[in-house]
Amino acid sequence: MTGWSGVAIWAYGAPRRRTPVLLGLDLALAIGSLLLTPVVKGADFNATVPGFWVMGALLAWAVHWHVRGGLVAAMAISVADLGIRDHIEQANYGNVFLLMIGGPIVGYMCGSLQRMATERDLAERAAAAAEERARLARAVHDGVLQVLSLMQRRGAEAGGAWAELGQVAGEQERSLRSLIRQQAGVTAEASDREQDLAGALEALGTASATRVEVSTPGHPVLLPGPVVSELVAAAGACLDNVGRHAGPDARAWVLLEELESSVVVTVRDDGPGIPAGRLEAAQHEGRLGVAESIRGRLAALGGEARLDTGSWGTEWELEAPR
Amino acid sequence: MDERVDERVRVMVVDDHPMWRDAVERDLAAAGFEVVAVAADGHQALARFPAARPQVVVLDLQIPGPSGVEVTAQVLQQDPAARVLILSASGEQADVLGAVKAGATGYLVKSASREELLDAVRRVAAGDTVFTPGLAGLVLGEFRRIAEGPADDPVDQLTERETEVLKMVAKGMSYKQIAERLVLSHRTVQNHVQNTLRKLQMNNRVQLTRWAIEHGLDDDDE
Repeated sequence: MTGWSGVAIWAYGAPRRRTPVLLGLDLALAIGSLLLTPVVKGADFNATVPGFWVMGALLAWAVHWHVRGGLVAAMAISVADLGIRDHIEQANYGNVFLLMIGGPIVGYMCGSLQRMATERDLAERAAAAAEERARLARAVHDGVLQVLSLMQRRGAEAGGAWAELGQVAGEQERSLRSLIRQQAGVTAEASDREQDLAGALEALGTASATRVEVSTPGHPVLLPGPVVSELVAAAGACLDNVGRHAGPDARAWVLLEELESSVVVTVRDDGPGIPAGRLEAAQHEGRLGVAESIRGRLAALGGEARLDTGSWGTEWELEAPR
Repeated sequence: MDERVDERVRVMVVDDHPMWRDAVERDLAAAGFEVVAVAADGHQALARFPAARPQVVVLDLQIPGPSGVEVTAQVLQQDPAARVLILSASGEQADVLGAVKAGATGYLVKSASREELLDAVRRVAAGDTVFTPGLAGLVLGEFRRIAEGPADDPVDQLTERETEVLKMVAKGMSYKQIAERLVLSHRTVQNHVQNTLRKLQMNNRVQLTRWAIEHGLDDDDE
């Protein structure tokens, strides 16, 4: 037994030696020594020759073949142990019980540990792959953006059908640039409860029919999901208004600021402004109007919507608490 | 508009995209600028800069070799009088902010028109700053981030006026429109914008020095 212990320690040392043959031999020796007990100690022995030494083989099986290995080894040892005794005491049942419960549990834990390690490896590989993809994408995007910008520039200079082509290239260039920024906000930090307002506003700018330029602090601005969707809806209503009243050539700018206790979304256009009295007139006629719906959304968030308009254009300031 | 410059401004163009490099070079030369060097990557740029001595470096950020941000820092270390104008296609926000912190005084996306580019080179050469609304938003965000940092940081905060002007730039207003709305001179608006960049660069230097001291990198010459 001492000799085999030495051999086993050496043999289990390297993964390539942990073969079914070794495990089978280990268990066979353990059971063999159990079966030898009546021969060596006489029929009415108390403790078996190997005693707790059989645990070595049992644990090896549990580690290697998990629940099933632990169960099979425990059963084999239990049967051998009970089989050689001429009378069975309560302590023997206790030992068998421990064997039967210990083998499968150790096996189960080894199994789940191994599964977790595999899952972690997979996750790490996925993260590394995503990073590499992002790096490659940056190179690809940069090349595409270069060409689109160049087409836009050269097209505008060449005129005619080329100008049209250049314009289309320009639109694609803007939306690709915006998509890249939105992608930057897709982080593990964003959860179901919190969303990135900066990325959402970029998306809004891309989707709008008006030519919109979006300025953000350059990092994700995380807010509860409902707050983000309400702010985006309000900013979207402002932009729709730009398209409706300031004409197709009007340009708009969206600025997101992250203040100490609030966020401010400013939507400005360079249109002719809202004529004095028009909003009041609309309200007077009983029409709620876009302005009121924007104010209502912000009030519901515990914030405020401020409107400033003049010959220089129209500016909405939407402030919501953080 | 007279596109010729009285004293020919010496310009270097750094871009790894040959079509772009040629286009920018041609436009600049046609407008009377003297293109003293071109480079396709960071190594070439740094190798050619000392001999060419350009006044303005028109720099793409996504270049092989030392990045655009590093080239900006090294070029300005060699010649603090030089000006760097970033001309980037993707405008990745971290890179743009990094380049501006390193000392670039102008930023333009590549979709800008030829006239916008020429105007930007001219203004940067004259010592002005060229901002896009996007960059103004980034700089505002950066100052707010600094303001929320440790209170003992010896950093320059923006004055109320500077913040106000920067906000207007971020909302797409031109310097002229801002001057009209705030009843200021065009020059004053420009000074405010320049100050914000100067403070940003100063804060960056202060932070770098602090970092170096904290990490014991200042013992080199002992």
